[in-house]
Amino acid sequence: MSEQSKKLPKGRSLWSDGIHRLAGHKLAMAGLVVIAAYFLLAAFIYISELCNWKISFLQWGDKIGREYEPPNAKNIIGTDFLGRSVLRKTIYGTKISITVAFLASILSIAIGVPLGAIAGYFRGAVDEIIVWLYTTLSSIPYILLILAFALVLKDKAINLHWAGLGTLELRGIASVYLAMGLTSWVGICRLIRGEVIKHKDREYVLAAKSYGCGDGRIITRHLIPNVFHIVIIDFSLRFVSFIQAEVILSFLGLGEKNSPSWGAMIDTARLDLPKGYWWEMTAATLAIFFISLALNVFGDALRDSLDPKLRIQ
Amino acid sequence: MNNNGTLLSLENVSTHFFTADGIVKAVQNISLKIKKGRTFALVGESGCGKSVTALSVMRLVPHPQGKIAGGKIIFEEKNLLELNEKQMRNVRGNKIAMIFQEPMTSLNPVYTVGNQIAEAIKLHQDKAGWQAKEDAVEMLQKVGIADSQRRINDYPHQMSGGMRQRVMIAMAISCQPKLLIADEPTTALDVTTQAQILDLLDELQQQEKMSILLITHDLGIVAERADDVAVMYASRIAETADSKTLFANPLHPYTQGLLKSLPRLGFTGERLPTVAGIVPDPLHFPSGCKFHPRCPIGCNDERCQTIEPEIRYVAPGHGVACWHAQGYEKITDKQNG
Amino acid sequence: MTTYIIRRLFYTIPIVLGVLLTTFILFNVVGGDVSDQIAGKAASKETIAEIRKEYGWDKPLFFARDSQFNRHLINAATFDFGRSWNDRERVMDKIKQGAGPSLSLTVPMFLGTVLISISLALIVAFLRGTIIDVLAVLLCVAGMSLPFLSFILFGQYFLAFKWGLFPVFFWPDLSTVRYVTLPVLIGIAAGLGGELRFFRTVMLDEIRNDYVRTAFAKGLSPARVLFKHVLKNAMIPIITQVVLAIPFLFLGSLLLERFFGIPGLGYLMVDAIGARDFQVIGAMTYIGAILFVVFNLITDICYALVDPRISLE
Repeated sequence: MSEQSKKLPKGRSLWSDGIHRLAGHKLAMAGLVVIAAYFLLAAFIYISELCNWKISFLQWGDKIGREYEPPNAKNIIGTDFLGRSVLRKTIYGTKISITVAFLASILSIAIGVPLGAIAGYFRGAVDEIIVWLYTTLSSIPYILLILAFALVLKDKAINLHWAGLGTLELRGIASVYLAMGLTSWVGICRLIRGEVIKHKDREYVLAAKSYGCGDGRIITRHLIPNVFHIVIIDFSLRFVSFIQAEVILSFLGLGEKNSPSWGAMIDTARLDLPKGYWWEMTAATLAIFFISLALNVFGDALRDSLDPKLRIQ
Repeated sequence: MNNNGTLLSLENVSTHFFTADGIVKAVQNISLKIKKGRTFALVGESGCGKSVTALSVMRLVPHPQGKIAGGKIIFEEKNLLELNEKQMRNVRGNKIAMIFQEPMTSLNPVYTVGNQIAEAIKLHQDKAGWQAKEDAVEMLQKVGIADSQRRINDYPHQMSGGMRQRVMIAMAISCQPKLLIADEPTTALDVTTQAQILDLLDELQQQEKMSILLITHDLGIVAERADDVAVMYASRIAETADSKTLFANPLHPYTQGLLKSLPRLGFTGERLPTVAGIVPDPLHFPSGCKFHPRCPIGCNDERCQTIEPEIRYVAPGHGVACWHAQGYEKITDKQNG
Repeated sequence: MTTYIIRRLFYTIPIVLGVLLTTFILFNVVGGDVSDQIAGKAASKETIAEIRKEYGWDKPLFFARDSQFNRHLINAATFDFGRSWNDRERVMDKIKQGAGPSLSLTVPMFLGTVLISISLALIVAFLRGTIIDVLAVLLCVAGMSLPFLSFILFGQYFLAFKWGLFPVFFWPDLSTVRYVTLPVLIGIAAGLGGELRFFRTVMLDEIRNDYVRTAFAKGLSPARVLFKHVLKNAMIPIITQVVLAIPFLFLGSLLLERFFGIPGLGYLMVDAIGARDFQVIGAMTYIGAILFVVFNLITDICYALVDPRISLE
């Protein structure tokens, strides 16, 4: 037999195939670059504060011009009512938005996915309890729930000595964002539970059981990878919703008060806009728009490339 | 009138898929003729393009990634590829019907079986609801489902795989199609049910006087049920003949290899012979004859390695695409079908 | 089928209890006795004591016949929520007043968004891969990436303030249609992106199923396949999304009402949040939760109607 017939084509795993396809998706890659840029900026701001560097474009508090200067050559996006640079404020706002959205997203997924998988897989009493829990939580209007949590957690110091982690102090805004994470797991939990229920009677699960797979293994090795694309899409969408929630919370007076945030900038626009001062709000809106767009595009492309059904046969 | 009993004729049909990794030429220059009232089997390994050929006849190739790139499909004196969508819909389910491999997922889970059968009837025969329902009951009986009056209101999930396939068949024959395309209809079923379904198809063929295009990878089925056969390999037809001739006198090394690998009574060797190697990657077909890497003769022959042989009819109705097939060199005229 | 409904009804009881427990903990335990705040700075001891008696804070929390929790339960059952802390009006009256304007805003918004997005999703899913699909997805994603507040601010600024096409604020003399149109349009525009993308995904998932190929093989037109076959199967996830959104219609849209001055429940809520008026907040939370529970039940019934595999369990 000739050489050609002996060479077997190398198979690709779902993930490597997915990533390969994703890499070819130009828009998604552009989105990834944008996302990375925002994250790196936020990280950079943290580092610069830790090391006490004085970077000029991060000094948002300095008065650099007259009040309400429209965009011009010196200040690209103009100044606010105190003469501070809107550009610098916008850049600094990245820190808060990214941090908060990230922590809240991770928290909600960390709670929601295991609970959803367990509920959907075991059904019975366990399912009833988990469903009761999230139904009760989700019955309460979101804003109120966050508010309530925020009030309870405000300025509290959580004792984590039992976990060997010392004491976690919740200053100001942290309580609100912890609240967001603790209340937002319901969505992903429900989705995962629904998918797991659909999948658990499918043949590949029965096949796994038939050769002796334990429940834990079935959940982690078989079910979760098959429903994981939902987590990805949910993560990217949820991230976006947290960034946008910050805007609303600022509007309700719960936002970050000590440093600039995009939400606060839009909030001041309520009064500024009728006076004709549009630049602060536009800057913040665009900042939110680009990260949200990048996340959405990337999340979509990621989902498409990870979906096992879309693989090339 | 070039009728002479031919119901469907494919002439140099090619179908391509446009993927991120390149163009996949799933079907290349396929020509075959299906005669009235006869069963034509299209046989080959997984991935050789036989299902795509069937989908091409129905013009159900998934678009936009797939496209019929050339050729003609003549049915009832019309080229199906030239019909507009509306005309084609009139053909589907009505004059040409198709059943698929997976009865478990090929039926809509949220509608009753009766509803789904009656749907085609209502559409193509313009009958009233209750009439169509009666027809559906009759169809279920025809395909051998007992208690059809009651079962008409069952949902697919309440039926076994074999029964669901019968329902698919009932749906397909409900409008008395002239041609039934069966894409691996029994592959997903157990052996007993397989035999039952194939018997059913035979019966229906006689009753309804229709032709069947049977897509399969199982030579056993071909031997039992097919009148005419075409063997496909890597997007092309390797050999075609009527069933008796093919089994008695296979000319293509691939066909020969396949037949040798069939288990048969009286076999005394230690291992069943196989066709060595595997089906080539459609993105990287070998040059020349696509089978040459696996061919005991062709792997060392320069002509086989560089020039692709086309189908030539070495005897009436017996076509083969192999430089080394008996009688191949002498034929220059390839029109004899 | 009936047993199914009765079972689900019984199930709502622990949920309602859970909600009552949660609201009690949030508002009575955490909130506690604020009779002096309600009475005001100049109030006399008697006034404060009266108020305390009225709200029942002089009673023990749980373990007595006339405990606060029992009272809480009774109030909930009779829908008697006492008086607002803010302006001492009866809470139920305020709620009744606010319901009308809220519904006149949210119902059209909801219907509009749902109908438009489902129809568009069907079309776009069918045209998958074509330029129209790509454009639609881009538009959706762009729409989802803009913060809601920006939609409102820009919409209000341009369409009402600058170009005068619509009234800027609610005015008692204006007909409902006039003052509701702009907020409804803004609400639909803002919500369309996310909904359409979700429904599109659902449709695409369904279209990939084998039964769709069978339907086409029978000679059905694309319209028929979509509307009859795909839609019914896609209904399950769609129903979850749609029906469960209905309870929130009653609560009005916080932001839209606030910005346009519409005196609905959302406006009421924002006021209450600002004033930390737990009586009002508590009442609305409870009502919202009850509605949610009821619609959960309705959702489950709808599932059973649409999916034959479920009702025969």
